[in-house]
Amino acid sequence: MIHVWSGAGADRDSDLSRNRAVGNGGGDRAATRVLVVDDDPSILDTVTSILATEGYQVKSAGGGEEALALVAAWRPTLVLLDMRMPLMDGWAVAKAMREAGSKVPIVVMTAAENAKRWAEEIDAAGHLAKPFELDELLACVEKYGSRDRKN
Amino acid sequence: MTALDLVTLLSQAIYVVIFFLVLWRYVRAPTPAHLDMTIFFGILGFIVVESRVAGLLGVTQPAWFTDLIVAAVIALPYVLLRLVDDFTVVRAGIKGVAALIGLGLAAIYAYLEAPYPVAWTLATVGYIAALSLYCGIAFVRAGRHAEGVTRRRLQAISFGTILFAVEVLMAGSAGQFQDPEKTILNATGQVLGLLSAVAFFLGFSPPAFLRRAWQAPELRDFLQRAASLPRLPTTLDIVRELERGAAAATGSRAQIALWQEDDRKLRVWTPGSNAPLDIEAGQHFAGRAFEQQRTIFSSHPVRDDPQGADVYRKGRVGAVIAAPITAGERRLGALVLSAERPPIFALADGELSQLLADQAAVILESRALIDHAAKVRAREEATRLKEDFLSAAAHDLKTPLTTVVAQAQFLERKAMRDPSAPSDLLGLQRIVREGQRLAALVTDLLDAARMEQGRLVSDREPVDLGALVSEVCSRQHASPHECELDVRGAIVGNYDRKRIEQLLDNLVENAKKYSPEATPIRVEVWQHDGEARISVHDQGIGIPPTDLPKIFERFSRGSNVDDRKFHGMGLGLYICRGIVEEHGGRIWAESEIGKGSTFHVALPLGEGRRLN
Repeated sequence: MIHVWSGAGADRDSDLSRNRAVGNGGGDRAATRVLVVDDDPSILDTVTSILATEGYQVKSAGGGEEALALVAAWRPTLVLLDMRMPLMDGWAVAKAMREAGSKVPIVVMTAAENAKRWAEEIDAAGHLAKPFELDELLACVEKYGSRDRKN
Repeated sequence: MTALDLVTLLSQAIYVVIFFLVLWRYVRAPTPAHLDMTIFFGILGFIVVESRVAGLLGVTQPAWFTDLIVAAVIALPYVLLRLVDDFTVVRAGIKGVAALIGLGLAAIYAYLEAPYPVAWTLATVGYIAALSLYCGIAFVRAGRHAEGVTRRRLQAISFGTILFAVEVLMAGSAGQFQDPEKTILNATGQVLGLLSAVAFFLGFSPPAFLRRAWQAPELRDFLQRAASLPRLPTTLDIVRELERGAAAATGSRAQIALWQEDDRKLRVWTPGSNAPLDIEAGQHFAGRAFEQQRTIFSSHPVRDDPQGADVYRKGRVGAVIAAPITAGERRLGALVLSAERPPIFALADGELSQLLADQAAVILESRALIDHAAKVRAREEATRLKEDFLSAAAHDLKTPLTTVVAQAQFLERKAMRDPSAPSDLLGLQRIVREGQRLAALVTDLLDAARMEQGRLVSDREPVDLGALVSEVCSRQHASPHECELDVRGAIVGNYDRKRIEQLLDNLVENAKKYSPEATPIRVEVWQHDGEARISVHDQGIGIPPTDLPKIFERFSRGSNVDDRKFHGMGLGLYICRGIVEEHGGRIWAESEIGKGSTFHVALPLGEGRRLN
């Protein structure tokens, strides 16, 4: 599939192509299971509702333990992971996932300046620096979620 | 040969040996003290050798020779007095009187024929013994004021002087007795004489090994304590300890001058005076040693440093050693050792003072490093705080922004796709809520910034605290907590109404935030000791005792606070403190884990009362 999400720079001129993409991608998206992990309930609700509306399968976890349980039970194809969380942070979650043998791509979501470095630290597929735009979120999910799907 | 003969021979040999040792010293270093010592032991050696030679040859000496020997014996205590003067200060009059009496006695002896009248002999012996005793006492007194090696030397000398006086008394009076008393007195006199000669030698001119042994205890003590010195509270404390240690180790007085980089001057903290003394580089001995970076010795400070002559005269400074205190390339200052008279110092003391100065340099440099490390730590701490602030502010601002931006864009997208679709109420509510959260955060950050400039409180007006508290409490509608109010009397002060309202809002909201539903919040307002007092009590989770002292600092949050449940940057109580303190009041908290917390505020009333 040729995806046409053009990222942050996209403007209204590309609305037509986007709509097409939504229509085309719907079937594939249903096969993408995205797990959103964040300790901030607002972000969790927002991202979950956006991705659900866009046709992805989505589940949310408000903390590390919950996330690990879902990774094991639900087998997501992509994990959006917040790094700074109380009790169990993103590093610990990533480490536990890898130790459990999970190869699911992880996308780091963080408000910190060093989002890229943190992503490298846990060997993540990509990163989303908060505050991210809708287009960035969707492009990211499409890119890494679809890659895994192809594999 | 009897035992007495053996002792006599032995002591006479030792006198001669000492004479040659002292003579050798004088040849190497012709100082007044060495000269006097040479004369002293020269006279003793001469008398001894002369009597032995005369005894062996069996010749009778001519009368003039006997007169010469008598004059030499009479001169002995005078030379001793000169030696006292070499080591400590003797009043000029005493030396003159002693010299006159001695000369008079010698002249009378030259006039008289032997055998001399008993009274004369006894008077002479009395003069010699009395003058020797005076010298002995002078040395004892000097020794009491000295310390370390100098004290031990002066003790040896005073011991020798007193033995000498006793010996003179015995030998002088022996002639008045018959055997066996005469022999016993002579023998005892011989032994005492030998002991006094050895004590003189060790005290006046101790061999290097003995000098080192006498210096060792103080030096060892100083070096043992050296490691702990850099940790003393202030540099001045270190300087004092270094001075004490150097003085004890060298048996002299010690002062340290420290280079002040800012003033480009050497500073000396004179003991007993609060005002430090500043010295230019190159000025006085400290300045010279500092500038020339070498050890300087002066046996005549008044002549060598006329600028400081008054100080040297007043302070009885007759000899100075100054050594530069330098750590590698860094010139730190100078160590100045001073003594009443030059022979207090030995040649080796120059090296010793440099060793002590080097030790001082190590200690002062360690201190500088400790200070530097503390400064670096403080700077790092400040940087870390700033970074904490930045990352905390960034994180807390970006989190709600993420929701606002993504959610708003998503609503926009949906509306574009299908303009007639019903509005997503949940999404809108999320935007509103996070927008408000963002606004509160921005306000808090701006307040914190304002507070740091002390510009939190502006327009003051008479404020009825009781009325304001009930207003704040009643405003918290739709809250599951009941607000119990206890206002005792009308308490009116002159405050910034908006800020006090913000303070009360914050405290009441905190109380509600951190306590279980349906537990009441109790707010009391009363007057105590000319102060308005407010307390807000909850039955919440409480604050751990370790966190209690920190809760009014910025970005401080209780360690038992679950970030997921309670949003916040940890600025609320920090701003509360700012509001209270800018009003001239106090804020504090008491708490018990699991039982609840009480926040207390005390605000001054005085000004407000007068206005009302």
